[in-house]
Amino acid sequence: MRLSIGRSYLVAPHCVKSSRLISSSSSKPQIPLFLRPPNHSIKLTDLHKWYNWAKTLNSSVGSSFVDTDNGPDSTLLNRELKWLVQDAVEDKSVSSELGNEIEQNPKLGLRNVRLKVGIEELYRLWKQRIDERRPFQYIVGCEHWRDLILSVEEGVLIPRPETEALVDLVGKVVLDNEALREGFWVDLGTGSGAIAIGICRILEGGARVIATDLSSIALAVAGYNVQRYGLQDLIELRQGSWYKPLQDVRGKLSGIISNPPYIPSDNIFGLQAEVGKHEPIVALDGGSNGMDDLIHLCDEAAVMLKPGGFFAFETNGEDQCKLLVNYMENNHKGRFCNLKIVSDFVGIPRFTTGFLKEAI
Amino acid sequence: MSIFTFRKQVCYRIFSLFGNVLISRHRLIPKLQCSSAAPQNCVLWNHGTSDFSRISGFPFSTLRLFSTQVAVEPSTSDGLTVEGILGNRWTILDESESDWRSHAASIAQSIHLIKKRLQWKKLMMRLELLSVELNKADLWDDPAHAGKINREHGSIMSKIKEIMAFERELLEHIDMIKLAREENDTELESESLSALLTMRRNSKEKELEALLSGENDSCSCYIEVQAGAGGTESMDWAAMVMQMYKMWAQRRGFKVTVMEEMPGEIAGIKRATIKLDGEYAFGYAKAEVGVHRLVRISPFDSNKRRHTSFAAVAVIPITGDASTHVQISESDLRIERFRSGGAGGQSVNTTDSAVRIVHIPTGITATCQNERSQHQNKASAMAVLQSRLNQLEMARQAQINAQHTQSLSDITWGNQIRSYVLHPYQMVKDLRTNYEVSDPNSVLEGDLDSFILNYLSISLDKDGDES
Ligand SMILES: C[S@@+](CC[C@H](N)C(=O)[O-])C[C@H]1O[C@@H](n2cnc3c(N)ncnc32)[C@H](O)[C@@H]1O
Repeated sequence: MRLSIGRSYLVAPHCVKSSRLISSSSSKPQIPLFLRPPNHSIKLTDLHKWYNWAKTLNSSVGSSFVDTDNGPDSTLLNRELKWLVQDAVEDKSVSSELGNEIEQNPKLGLRNVRLKVGIEELYRLWKQRIDERRPFQYIVGCEHWRDLILSVEEGVLIPRPETEALVDLVGKVVLDNEALREGFWVDLGTGSGAIAIGICRILEGGARVIATDLSSIALAVAGYNVQRYGLQDLIELRQGSWYKPLQDVRGKLSGIISNPPYIPSDNIFGLQAEVGKHEPIVALDGGSNGMDDLIHLCDEAAVMLKPGGFFAFETNGEDQCKLLVNYMENNHKGRFCNLKIVSDFVGIPRFTTGFLKEAI
Repeated sequence: MSIFTFRKQVCYRIFSLFGNVLISRHRLIPKLQCSSAAPQNCVLWNHGTSDFSRISGFPFSTLRLFSTQVAVEPSTSDGLTVEGILGNRWTILDESESDWRSHAASIAQSIHLIKKRLQWKKLMMRLELLSVELNKADLWDDPAHAGKINREHGSIMSKIKEIMAFERELLEHIDMIKLAREENDTELESESLSALLTMRRNSKEKELEALLSGENDSCSCYIEVQAGAGGTESMDWAAMVMQMYKMWAQRRGFKVTVMEEMPGEIAGIKRATIKLDGEYAFGYAKAEVGVHRLVRISPFDSNKRRHTSFAAVAVIPITGDASTHVQISESDLRIERFRSGGAGGQSVNTTDSAVRIVHIPTGITATCQNERSQHQNKASAMAVLQSRLNQLEMARQAQINAQHTQSLSDITWGNQIRSYVLHPYQMVKDLRTNYEVSDPNSVLEGDLDSFILNYLSISLDKDGDES
């Protein structure tokens, strides 16, 4: 059930794009686990029992996920389990007590602890984590990204650590060029709203940020996150395909930032289970060579940016970065300047950045 | 002596103090480059100094008292000093006994102890030195240095003044009691007596405070624990030691954050770092630096043999001091992060966001993996790295507390400070103070205060700085 939205696009993501708006049911975003009220009470021993059960599940995984598709190993799963406890309990000290030997001190276990989910739900959640490879972030309903905690749920891409650097890139650009701190900035395909919120905070209120997405679930979740950080007056959310909902700011943009779908369609099938089976395909599939959306974003950037405006796009790696730079140099001769390829934290060329030339 | 003459004497004392201040003010003016200013002007001008000092950074909004002035030993009207009281060797009775001599003797003893703990003589010498520095005409050519000197002078001065005031208060109450007896004023006598009792109680608190008067004592800190040789045995012991500090810190009300943790293959930890946030975290924790030794029947040994394991503890203050704050340049860093192997980006979803930072010139590293975002892990690792580099700088500057801020790499495994025996008998013994208890479990559950306070008082109360 959970996957129906994502799945419906699996066959031919790009053909159905125009009919996408049908799914704009007024979805209500889920509240991340750590923000829910602690309405459940349980004996510490019972929590401990669940915890040990989950740890046994984890160790049964060993390195089998790593071997099949580069998934998590038991050490990482154990760390996630600790985080789940942290998010699920009201009293944080419980998570350290679980590590101690409650068996040795049974009196300790008689204590009641307050939880944000029922214990049956905890069993169900961890079974999903292991058996279905449901992403940890969907299980706890949030992802820690930069200094933010963003709500995420099925239907919305879990923001990646690589993408954190896009915000730093914007920070550097406005440091050298104070004028760009003002005006309009856009985050195209905002998903959870990560980039929009990140750059809005970097711009310190000087600029207006418009975040767009095609998916209504994404927009609902982004809206929730924007509210949580109190940025609703500075970030505007618009629904529609890429630049379509931005016609009123044509030629006026100080900056365009996007992490569009860029995985080549052929690669979707072999993805790590957490990604391929659970995350929305519409957020991942970038067409046959993965560059359908990137090329479209570049073409229009030439008319959407104001002179001197900045853009930064995330890509699948070196090949896409180079292709993009070549494309801009050849198909938009003389329009852009300072084209650069920037690497991510492990050294993979990840971003293409540049400026629209100042008018002479 | 009548009450009138006595009050006069007190007044005179106050006046003479004022006189001193006035004199020193005259003396100061030329040095502050306003030699033409007449004294009256200066008084007026003094009102405006807070504004002026804000603008220029000059520190003369507060008048400086110099060590020569505070060195004058206070005494009662008939010449009794705190030293004198100590010399009289009056018997100290229980608090409940209303005997002023007993109260006075007890307070005098506390003052003596406090001075010793503050290293009074050294403090006075330091004050003298700083005063000379402060009077140099070119002091403010280097504002950072000047600010530091000025702050240290201020903080020493306030410590000294506090103790001097306490001393004077004692002597004044004694004067009052003697006077009340002469005048047969029972009300005044009992008032003064109860004032002495209050002082006696306060002085116990001051004694404790004086234990934590080191330069960085009030700072938050990091505690690092590293397992000694011996594999799983020692790694398990290191984890127990870490757990002991976490529990101790929670009891003390410090906020505990795990910065870095390298788990052992089978059990325990190879090494871990926690951060304690709270007032005087470093002051207490520094007493734990060194090697901790455990003797027990190993839970990992199927033959149930006795094993000895070691864990080393290092403590690093988190100072706000700009002079030991090392500027780190980005180009000196190598930042290593989890590498998924694949294409990365959208294709990969991992919660592993461990970050390791290497400071290339020194080879010092810091790792963090316990935060849930890459960004936060990097920030935490940077904070640890910054403190490690600051600590190196601090050691270089050979400051007073340097012996407490050695890093794990400096700790020689021979430097054992405490031994925990679980078998064949039960005991925890501090090898520095010989303080011991026979209940290791309570100690391992964080009941460490008595060990710490014992060590702090013994290391400060040992002879050598007679006041
Ligand atoms: C890779 S995700 C990036 C999400 C988010 N910006 C981030 O970095 O975490 C791509 C996003 O683009 C959105 N998207 C896909 N096609 C789109 C289109 N034609 N117009 C606007 N957004 C689109 C998807 O819904 C998804 O949220």
